[in-house]
Amino acid sequence: METIVKKRIKQVLKGDQDAYAEVVEIYKDKVFQICYRMLGNRHEAEDIAQEAFLRAYVNIASFNIDLKFSTWLYRIATNLCIDRIRKKKPDYYLDAEVAGTDGLNMYSQIASDARLPEEDVESLELQETIQREISKLPEKYRSVIVLKYIEELSLNEISETLDLPLGTVKTRIHRGREALRNQLRYV
Amino acid sequence: MKCPAEMVVYMHEYLDEEISAEHEKELRAHLQNCEECQTHFHELKKTIALVQSTSHIQAPENFTANVMAKLPKEKRKVGVQR
Repeated sequence: METIVKKRIKQVLKGDQDAYAEVVEIYKDKVFQICYRMLGNRHEAEDIAQEAFLRAYVNIASFNIDLKFSTWLYRIATNLCIDRIRKKKPDYYLDAEVAGTDGLNMYSQIASDARLPEEDVESLELQETIQREISKLPEKYRSVIVLKYIEELSLNEISETLDLPLGTVKTRIHRGREALRNQLRYV
Repeated sequence: MKCPAEMVVYMHEYLDEEISAEHEKELRAHLQNCEECQTHFHELKKTIALVQSTSHIQAPENFTANVMAKLPKEKRKVGVQR
C-alpha cells in the first residue's frame, strides 16, 4: 500500500495532479473516520477531511518520502480536528444534537416513514451513546482513543502521528480509558 | 480494604500489552481476592469493546471528486520537471 502511495506522490511532485486521486481514494475512509469520531458530526467531518487532503496536497513537497504517508496525513487531519474543536462556533447542523433533548437530533424531529426493526434501533442508539461519550472527552484524550481503538494504531504510531512522547501517549490513553469507563459503565 | 494503588496501573499495562510477567502475576493474584478491582477491570475491558464496536463508517459519495475539484490549478505540466 505504502509503495503505491509513494509512487503516486512522486508523480504528484512531478506535476501530475491526477495521481493524487488514487491517494485520496486509498485514505478517504480512514481520514473521514478520524474526523467523524473526533467531531461527532458528518458535515463537519466531511469538511475537515477534505481540508486535510487539500493541506496534504499543498504541502506535499514538505513530506519526507522516507516516512509513512498515513502518519503524516493523520497528523494533519487530527490537528485540523483539534483546531475545529477549540474554536467551535455554535453552528447548527441537521445531525447536531438539539440542546436539552438528551441525544435527539434534528433528524429525529423530522417525521420519517422509515421504520427500523427493534434491534437495529437498539444498536443505533448504542452507537450514538458511544459516539456521544467519545465526544465528551477532552480533545487530548479523544485523539489518542480514536487513533488507538478506532484506527487501531500502535502506541508508537500514535506517538509519531501526534508528535508526542510515548510516555505522554500512554498517560493520555490511561486517562481516556478511565474517563470513558466512568461514562460507559452503566451502558 | 484499600487496594494497592499500582493495581490500576497494572491493569492499564495489561491493556496496552506491556505488562511484565511479575506485574501480571501480582495483578492476577489481587483480582482473585478483590471484587472491586475485578469490577474496575471488567468495566475497562467493556469500555474498550464498546468503543471498538462502533461501526466503521465510509467517506461520503463523491468525496474524492470533491477533493480533486478543490485542488489548486497545477502550474507545471506533467513531465516538465526532471
